[in-house]
Amino acid sequence: MKPLIELTGVQKFYGDYHALRDIDLTINEGEFFSLLGPSGCGKTTLLRTIAGFEGVSEGSVMIGGKDMDGVSANLRPTNMVFQSYAIFPHLTVAENVAFGLRKRKDIAKSDRPAMVEDALKMVGLAGYGDRAAHALSGGQRQRVALARALILKPKVLLLDEPLSALDKKMREQMQVELIRLQRHVGITFILVTHDQEEALVMSDRIAVMFEGEIGQLDDPETLYRRPKSKRVAEFIGKMNFLPAEVTSASDVIALDVAGLGKCEVPQEQAPGGATVGSGVVGIRPESLGILFEGETTDRQLVDAVVDEVVYYGDMTYYDVRIAGVEEPITISMKNMIGRPVLDKDDQTQVIWDARALVVMP
Amino acid sequence: MSLRFYTIAYLVFLYAPIMLLPIFAFNDATIIAFPLSGFTTDWFGELMTTKALHDAVGNSLFIALTTAALSTCLGMCAARAGAMPHFRFKAGIMGFVMLPLVLPEIIVAVSLLVVAVQILGLGLSNWTIIAAHTLICTPFSIAILNGAFQNLDPSLEEAALDLGESRWSAFWSVIFPLVMPGVISSFLIAFTISLDEFIIAFFLTGANPTMPVYIWSLLRFPASLPVVMALGTILVALSILLLTIAEILRRRGIAKAGGKDTGGFL
Repeated sequence: MKPLIELTGVQKFYGDYHALRDIDLTINEGEFFSLLGPSGCGKTTLLRTIAGFEGVSEGSVMIGGKDMDGVSANLRPTNMVFQSYAIFPHLTVAENVAFGLRKRKDIAKSDRPAMVEDALKMVGLAGYGDRAAHALSGGQRQRVALARALILKPKVLLLDEPLSALDKKMREQMQVELIRLQRHVGITFILVTHDQEEALVMSDRIAVMFEGEIGQLDDPETLYRRPKSKRVAEFIGKMNFLPAEVTSASDVIALDVAGLGKCEVPQEQAPGGATVGSGVVGIRPESLGILFEGETTDRQLVDAVVDEVVYYGDMTYYDVRIAGVEEPITISMKNMIGRPVLDKDDQTQVIWDARALVVMP
Repeated sequence: MSLRFYTIAYLVFLYAPIMLLPIFAFNDATIIAFPLSGFTTDWFGELMTTKALHDAVGNSLFIALTTAALSTCLGMCAARAGAMPHFRFKAGIMGFVMLPLVLPEIIVAVSLLVVAVQILGLGLSNWTIIAAHTLICTPFSIAILNGAFQNLDPSLEEAALDLGESRWSAFWSVIFPLVMPGVISSFLIAFTISLDEFIIAFFLTGANPTMPVYIWSLLRFPASLPVVMALGTILVALSILLLTIAEILRRRGIAKAGGKDTGGFL
């Protein structure tokens, strides 16, 4: 994989506000990359420094081996899909899509209508060319914005929260279409989103950002299974946190977890590193289980009392209390045939496995 | 009920005198009084043949067109700056720019006369009037264009830049077409204000009077009153037409840019 975008020591200040703190980041050719984080974490600012709408206060942005310092947005090999889509309301759909071709001397005028039609076909809007842009629905605007950017065959397509304005059903449909589109054109996509599920579904790699810094950069599975810190774990999916005492941190990490007891885990389960002393372990709701009557397990068990039951149809979420832990622990269970749904205050046993623990500093 | 009566009374009080203009403009008598004596279009005919009037109308049109162009250009610059997210002392500067809107015209007229004649040593001409009219029309232009510019999604300009346009060409290919209705609206309102402005023109006029100044001079001769009425009728009709066009364009522009109507002058 060839690196395409290289950010080195990027800092951005707005007056006293430190928007980007020493960002080092390499994004590869053909990659679907996501910048994920809560609002105000700097993910949009980072995207805009790549696009050229914001300068950097320090550090460098390289695209395709060229330093972008002093290169304005119109001269960069990037195109952007804006959060508001920014469809030009005074032009037709075809004129919108052809807009970027006007400054391209290398593309003959006679080729342009066919290119526009191809681009519209690619996003599923074939035959919409003559429509007025301001009469389109949200999903259609989104597609026009994509066609308008992709027709220029940029090295990088930047997507600034492109799905946030759509309803849930449309959003899920567009997620799939965007993945398909990205595989089809092979262009690097950089997606900014605050929706962890969207990032997990779509990306090859995700950078999780907090307060202008990258908290963790990994592929979706590693990010989900091995979060390096509590705030990454909290942001991606649901996770239970239990206080734990690390008693030894050599080849294997020896732990005493509140409520669960003593266990040992390999170093991989402490991606953020582990030191002897008090720490936290995280465990996902689906990695825990409830031992129903008539079922058996070879894993470890701990007594618990049901505190809260939330029924989702395919799943049931139980909040249970175990001795020695203050906060209730959430467990998600598939509602399989023959399995009852427990009631509040029922006595039960929780199944756990040391392989599912993540040790965090 | 009483509120409705009040509103009707208010409207009658406001518009009745104006309604008298066309009535006496078509009345076959030199004396402006009821009962009406008959229908004539002679007074309009007389308008067509009075050379001094033609000169005055020509002056006024030249002044009004130039003023409208200048104040719309200045208004565009100010509104564009006002739509930018941050620059120093923005609120203060915008306040001062809008101040001529509330300054008494007579004060503006006298001080400009002193500046032009005593300090700068300029002769009075159409250009001194244009300068003064631009001063009083620009705030109106800014108010109208502010609405047009602030309703624009800032991403539109960025999208144009992103698609390869320079700042200059992005302005002309995206922003200008979208604020065009506001530009026309501003042009028409500035034109109307300048065309019938009297006080400043009276103070600053050179050898050639503007139309309002000429009309005022006619009032000394009772015989020419019906001619003034005829001229007034044409002016009222023209003003209503222009302001209606301006308002329609302003509303259409807001609808086009997908913004919310925050109220104009009408």
